[in-house]
Amino acid sequence: MAAVLTDRRARLQTSPLRHLDVALVLAPVLISGLGLLMIYSATHTRLKDAGADPLTFVKRQAVAIVLGIIAMVIMTVIDYRRLRELALFGYAITVLMLVAVLGIGVQVKGAQARFDIGPLQLQPGELAKLFVILVLAGYCALHRGDLDGRRLLVALCIAGVPIGLILIQPDLGTDLVLMFITFVMLAVAGARGRHLVILGLLGITVAIGAVNLGVLEQYQIDRLTNFADPGKDAERSGYNQDQSKIAIGTGGLTGQGLFGGTQTTGAYVPEQHTDFIFTVVGEELGFVGGSVLLALFALIVWRTWRTARLANDLFGTLCSVGVLAMLVFQVFENVGMTMGIMPITGIPLPWMSYGGSSVIVSFACIGLVANIHMRRFS
Amino acid sequence: MIENRVRMSIVGVIALALFGALFARLWYLQVAATSEFAAAAQSNSVRTINEPPIRGRILDAKNRVLVDNRIANVITIDRKLSSSRRAMVVSRLAELLKEPASAIRKKLEDPRVSPYTDVPVAVDVSYEDLAYVSEHREDFPGVRAEPLAIRRYRNGQVGAHVLGYVGEINQAELTAQPPSGHYELGDTIGKAGVELTYESDLRGKPGTERVEVDAAGKVLRTLSTKRPQPGHDVKLTIDYDVQKLAEDSLEQGIVSAQNTQDKGYKKGFKKLAAPAGSVVVLDATDGSVVAMASNPTFDPNTFSNGIPTPTWQWLNDPAHHYPLVDRAVAGQYAPGSTFKLVTAIAGLNSGVITASKTVDDKGRYSYPTDPKRFFNNDNGAQYGRVSLARALTVSSDVYFYTIGGDLYYRQKHALPNANALQDTAHEYGFGKVTGIGLPNEATGRVPDAIWKAKIHDENPAAFPYPDWLPGDSILSAVGQGDMLVTPLQLANAYATFANGGMLHEPRLASEILNANRTKVRDLAPITTAQLPPLPDRGTMLAGFSGVASDPKGTAAKVFTGFPTGMVGGKTGTAQVEGKQPTSLFVGMTPAANPRYIVLAVVEEGGYGSETAAPVVRRIMQGLNNLPLTDVVTLPPADGN
Repeated sequence: MAAVLTDRRARLQTSPLRHLDVALVLAPVLISGLGLLMIYSATHTRLKDAGADPLTFVKRQAVAIVLGIIAMVIMTVIDYRRLRELALFGYAITVLMLVAVLGIGVQVKGAQARFDIGPLQLQPGELAKLFVILVLAGYCALHRGDLDGRRLLVALCIAGVPIGLILIQPDLGTDLVLMFITFVMLAVAGARGRHLVILGLLGITVAIGAVNLGVLEQYQIDRLTNFADPGKDAERSGYNQDQSKIAIGTGGLTGQGLFGGTQTTGAYVPEQHTDFIFTVVGEELGFVGGSVLLALFALIVWRTWRTARLANDLFGTLCSVGVLAMLVFQVFENVGMTMGIMPITGIPLPWMSYGGSSVIVSFACIGLVANIHMRRFS
Repeated sequence: MIENRVRMSIVGVIALALFGALFARLWYLQVAATSEFAAAAQSNSVRTINEPPIRGRILDAKNRVLVDNRIANVITIDRKLSSSRRAMVVSRLAELLKEPASAIRKKLEDPRVSPYTDVPVAVDVSYEDLAYVSEHREDFPGVRAEPLAIRRYRNGQVGAHVLGYVGEINQAELTAQPPSGHYELGDTIGKAGVELTYESDLRGKPGTERVEVDAAGKVLRTLSTKRPQPGHDVKLTIDYDVQKLAEDSLEQGIVSAQNTQDKGYKKGFKKLAAPAGSVVVLDATDGSVVAMASNPTFDPNTFSNGIPTPTWQWLNDPAHHYPLVDRAVAGQYAPGSTFKLVTAIAGLNSGVITASKTVDDKGRYSYPTDPKRFFNNDNGAQYGRVSLARALTVSSDVYFYTIGGDLYYRQKHALPNANALQDTAHEYGFGKVTGIGLPNEATGRVPDAIWKAKIHDENPAAFPYPDWLPGDSILSAVGQGDMLVTPLQLANAYATFANGGMLHEPRLASEILNANRTKVRDLAPITTAQLPPLPDRGTMLAGFSGVASDPKGTAAKVFTGFPTGMVGGKTGTAQVEGKQPTSLFVGMTPAANPRYIVLAVVEEGGYGSETAAPVVRRIMQGLNNLPLTDVVTLPPADGN
């Protein structure tokens, strides 16, 4: 008994870094490294043809990864309990940015979702993921998970404000992630069963409404509905998914070799370095490479899930659950769409897809989980 | 917290299930169904580029090159240029070549050019301009000079209709070609003449290059290359010297006729229109075409690199009498008295006449049941008692009207050989294509009772009488009425008579050779029928000989100065409703045992002896190595 006490005291007295989940923080770094290779493969020939530096995208992504790792470190070092208050500040800024982006953001592919600050691009929708998780977890933890109707409504408003603003852009993909995060967090926090059923129905209604009420651009609707009937329009919106499946299918067991994919060098898959980055892995590294990548994601999800169970308090648990929900949904939706089992929506593959905001936020989220994990005893 | 734990477990299970689904799907795509996708990726990215073969040459009977290919310098622009560099290159090229930039841009967007090759924007670029481009490479990124084979007709217009021309394949031709030909848009194909007839020999086999392309159509690498195989040479039976002679003579004859008064026009002064004509020179022994001319004519070189629209419009303007039409095979004319060859044979074979039987020619003829309707000799000339040979020499219509009338009588009373005239005409190749193989060959027309009834049913306004009447038989006997022949049919019929009854399919080519002049295959003469011997052939030949040499012969004046026995022949003056008569002459040389048949037809050229016979005369001079004299339209003698 004494030995146990001594051990416990020793744990309390030493730095929490001793309990860092190394696997959890290393896996995203590995994935982002692989992502760099894949982005190079998907972009270097076209950049060279255009007379540009073939490493343009790789360099920008590398900068984002470095920034992401810094963000991860910061999110790990600051005690996550202090983040409960700080997050409110971040949440407010994020909402302000979401409003601002509608006014002065850059229109890209039908959605007004980002700022261009010099070479940097900032997508406040990505930031919203982190702060919705933190603020929602903080609010639920405040009420110890006892969410009656009124509190549930407040919780929904916390998520609903950014969701609504993002819907105006419109960026359906980010909204779907946020809705999924909110749902899972509320479920785990202790929302009533019947409330959850209503929420689920509400989410579906909003999605259908977005499709039918003209909020989405026609191309977004086409991409979504083509999933149900892929042969309908192979030349246009179905093209993406067909080419994507072909790219992955040709990879076979071991792939066509790094930088050797014909679909990839031939640029047959649009958006390949962003949303369709998984097709490069599939084609060039095959089933083996794809499996390793999925296994790394599964590892992160498992460690996050484990952290949620080990966490010292409900706030930590809910934060971890939020990150878990975010990762599971993004990985499943993104990889699923490249393989034709999910509809096409613009959701990046964490750490892999080209795009600084997503990379940085994903790292920050892992920092948060690592933080919770290593402070599980304190 | 227990509740939380249960729900956490559920979340964990769901996450596990979703990852499981991803693994399963990945396994399915990459391991279970990978072959399917490999095929799809292949068809995605592999393209075949055809490289055109060098077209074979066309040689004359003495192996002189009539048609070959010249190498033109072509400037091409790389498609992969960025739009700003492309705009710069286009404006610089426009300045250099003195062409509007818009024209160059249009060529760059030409959908017929394979999207995987550079785009030709200027053909026949001068060496100065080429040198400028190569010396200023950095100013002309993506600009290259390439050789392009362009069809060359070495003698311009000479032989245009026989040789034909080439052009870019059109959609209809593309659809008509079997897939084995591997034609594609932008390819060159024979459009007319020998170029079309022997397309499969001349073309060769296109080379193919299989390349891998990206989604934008940019070539990434070459997978395999097959060199094109050059086309075969075609050796014609045409003798360039005779062809040139025939065309020059025809042109001279037409020009001369156009400056001559039409004697048949009684109301005042009017010149012969003579807008067009044709000449056929056949080797009577085997049906080889030695020369074949049609006038007006054209220069096939204008088609070789895409014919300019104004030229095309000019060539198809009715005011220019359709120079592209090969009148030797596509023109249909009433043969007039030249058809008496067939009437004579029909008369002999049916027993209506014998060679020695005479007819008293009083200048007109009427059928017994209709004694008031007279069929007259030209100008009402009276020849007295004429035998067959004499009737041919002086062109006694009455003699042949009599044959026509007698044959009508046989028909009316269901006697044997009633259809002798039509039967003989068919035996000698009239009423159907000769089989020379040239495009648009006309069949001509041999009218008979069945045809007349049918055409009346189809078009009662133009053909008011359904019944075969005496006049039909009588006029058919002198090559008038509804009888129509092509110049080639007529020449071939005379060749058949001249060689003792062998009907040939006229041939234009004798051999197919490969590029190093070794024989690929022979194109032997084809005999389609051997007719029964004609006992009175000699008598008839004598009659034809008289045409040119007897003082009373219809073309005697034309052939003044020719040794007796060198030339025989027959004049023809075919009446055409509303037009001046068609002038025809069929010559044979030597007269007693003819080797060559020389036929001239001039539309609205007046009498046979007036315009056509002088054209034939000059060609006969050439064939017999006599000094050439210019063609002069002669005032007509009596007889037609």
